[in-house]
Amino acid sequence: MFFASKPGAPVTRTRRLSMAVAAGALLGTTVLSGCSVANSSASNSSGAAGAAAGDTLRVVLQQEPPTLEACESNLTSTGVVVRSTITEPLIERNPTTGDLEPKLATEWTSKDDTKWTLKLREGVKFHDGSDFTAEDAAATIDRAVNSKLGCNVEGYVFGDDDLKLNVVDAGTLEVTAPKADPILPLRLSFLEVVPAETSSTEKVREPIGTGPYKLDKWEAGQSINASAFADYWGEAPAFPKANYQWRSEGSVRAAMITSGEADIATGLSPEDNIGDLGVTFPNNETVALRMHGDTAPFTDIRVRQAVNYAIDKEAIVASLYGGRDKAAAQLVPGGVVGHSESLPVWPYDPEKAKSLVAEAKAAGVDTSAQISLVVRTAQFPKIEELGQVLQEQLTQAGLNVKLKMLETSQHLTYQVRPFPTDDEGAIMLMTQHGNQAGDAAFTVDQYMTTKGAQSAFGTPELDKLIATADAATGADRQSAFEKVFSYQNDNVVQFAHIAHQTGMLGLAKTVNYAPNSSTSDELRLAEVTPAK
Amino acid sequence: MRKRIVSSALPLVVVVVGVFALARMTGSPASLYLPLNATDAMRADFIAKNGLDQPVLVQMFDYFGGLLRLDFGTSLRTGEDAAAMALRAFPATLQLAAMTMVIAIVLAIIVGSAAALKPNGVLDRFASFVSMAAASIPDFWLAIVGIWVFAIYLGWLPTSGVMGAAAWVLPVATLVMRPFGALVQVIRGAMVTSLSEPYIKLARSKGATEYRVVTGHALRNAAAPALTVAGDLTVGLINGAVVVETIFGWPGIGKLMIDSILQRDFAVLQACVLLTALAIFVLNILIDLGYALLDPRVRPAAGARARRKTRAVTIENEPSEPIEPNVPTAASASV
Repeated sequence: MFFASKPGAPVTRTRRLSMAVAAGALLGTTVLSGCSVANSSASNSSGAAGAAAGDTLRVVLQQEPPTLEACESNLTSTGVVVRSTITEPLIERNPTTGDLEPKLATEWTSKDDTKWTLKLREGVKFHDGSDFTAEDAAATIDRAVNSKLGCNVEGYVFGDDDLKLNVVDAGTLEVTAPKADPILPLRLSFLEVVPAETSSTEKVREPIGTGPYKLDKWEAGQSINASAFADYWGEAPAFPKANYQWRSEGSVRAAMITSGEADIATGLSPEDNIGDLGVTFPNNETVALRMHGDTAPFTDIRVRQAVNYAIDKEAIVASLYGGRDKAAAQLVPGGVVGHSESLPVWPYDPEKAKSLVAEAKAAGVDTSAQISLVVRTAQFPKIEELGQVLQEQLTQAGLNVKLKMLETSQHLTYQVRPFPTDDEGAIMLMTQHGNQAGDAAFTVDQYMTTKGAQSAFGTPELDKLIATADAATGADRQSAFEKVFSYQNDNVVQFAHIAHQTGMLGLAKTVNYAPNSSTSDELRLAEVTPAK
Repeated sequence: MRKRIVSSALPLVVVVVGVFALARMTGSPASLYLPLNATDAMRADFIAKNGLDQPVLVQMFDYFGGLLRLDFGTSLRTGEDAAAMALRAFPATLQLAAMTMVIAIVLAIIVGSAAALKPNGVLDRFASFVSMAAASIPDFWLAIVGIWVFAIYLGWLPTSGVMGAAAWVLPVATLVMRPFGALVQVIRGAMVTSLSEPYIKLARSKGATEYRVVTGHALRNAAAPALTVAGDLTVGLINGAVVVETIFGWPGIGKLMIDSILQRDFAVLQACVLLTALAIFVLNILIDLGYALLDPRVRPAAGARARRKTRAVTIENEPSEPIEPNVPTAASASV
């Protein structure tokens, strides 16, 4: 043919080749990749659309846990899977009453708040079949608190202090604190028990526990499967199997509930289109502004008071959060030891705010100095809008506020000491503080003392009040912390409190579950039952 | 060809060094991995344990030393081997990209060729509108709307996940739009040009069927520019179908890379970047080879420079005539 005889390769042959190459370049990638990757190779089908829920409880989380290491379980993403589901603590805090209840320890006593004696439950087995004894309890505490493992729980709950451990017999353990510690049992409730054989030099990705569910298979990137532990010491859970998946997009998590692909979805907001399958619950988180008192205009308490008057908390809760949140007067919500019901929410009074700023200006404070309102993107729903509303209201009061949106890692550098010296003026940080422990000590020690890791400043008087409260017990403890909170509002004003938040869970009609204030941190699968 | 390989390998090194240095400029990951009230001793421990107290140059030297021993480092976030994490995630992305490109190319050839038969006809205008729309719809919007319509309202497909064949439909459909839109325009443009060439007229006058004219002659001329654009589009897909992977929970490299950046998980980030850069390097070589096969004048001996010049031009039939740079659409659509 004419064309084929022209210079160059014969058309027909070349054409075939070209097609082959074009397709080959693409398909080759598939072949190279080994062919059996992201699709049906998975061993279970419980996550697929339309799969019968039946005996599998399907949970969709916001993110894959980075690890299931038991000593990291006060990280929300780890704890929500591990705590009281795969592993169990010695002592458990009832999230509703705040009382400590027996778990792997049946009783605990102390004469002097320093040396605590724990009686341990008999007949408990680990998932590997071994018996739970005082050795395991001692090794768990030693590993998490005294070792160099760098467990999250160490810094958060125990600080620098090491604990002395003495195994009296298989069912008795003595724990000695370096100084009197009335809330030591509460601290111990943060430790999830693992066998004594667990490495104390390396963290373990998949723990062996005593919980109602044991880990079957973690398919990295895809799902975690667990099944009911046949030798569990307590009551068997209602669902024989459990499956965790994760989707970062809230609307997708909600869609998985409405389309029947999942039974429980965590971390939703009303914008995610969950309709009446969304269940709200108080989640222990409080939003507040922390003002750094070392730079003008925050050097003057009148300016800090003005910030409090300028913010219309009720309007923010009503318009941005549909009235579900609650205007806050302090850093901890109801249910936490030390929360004061009688402390009034700071009133909204824009005129008073303006006049306080003017007074400070007359006294020589540079009230036109720039303030950076530092906010973390996507920390909670509508945070960007909240930042803009606050900027507007503070500007109305006569302050010069610039909104600074930062991602998590950058935001954290502002959250903890040493704080960056901001070249953009005074710093006002938006914080979202959650008190999982249920005791104000975990809040005020770090947020309000003069040297607290997350405290911008304090006063010696406040430090004294906090030290007194930390050592107090019973009713004294409650009133001592109430005093701390009201003193901060009257005399220090490091914070402008905004709201106690609510969480939202997506629950399919197939299951029953009543979320509580610790649901976001520990989703106890054994408490979930089928709807019928 | 050897020169070409060396010249494409250089950027690989630059990218790895650049990512190494830039990642470390974003600050220490200590605050992300330690509790907020960690003691100074814990902080110092963490920084020393992960070698972050060393000068960046020393860290980089260590890193490259490790690469020679095939040690890519350990993930700060999960404690796993960084290379293992990247290699586990990569096939998922490759499969998604391959599936997407095959479908995009086939659809684009059909639609582009059909449109080119009658320039400015009804079909052409419709194809032009559809392809423009497809190339410009944001992935995020398309993915969410797809979930609402097909997973929730109609209930035909799963919302997300990786279980079963149906799970592929929404992610692939979302990803296909942009390459499909771009390729339709390239193929249509190239086809319109070649269909007006004298040799096509001659073929028709000799009695070749329209089907034969299109598939046998014109399409072959359009293949070269299409391959170039398709290559670029594939690189884009491999580089991270980040949005799609994130929304659909697809365990690919795009999502892993974003997570690693946000979590300052340096070793994993570097492993991901290295692997992706390597894949793009290989893909470029493959495109070059494909190009040489398509165009006999651009055999490897002619070198990269000659190829660049002739890339957008198809020369098969009238080499003696002045060559018109006849595929402006290739350049404008490859954005």
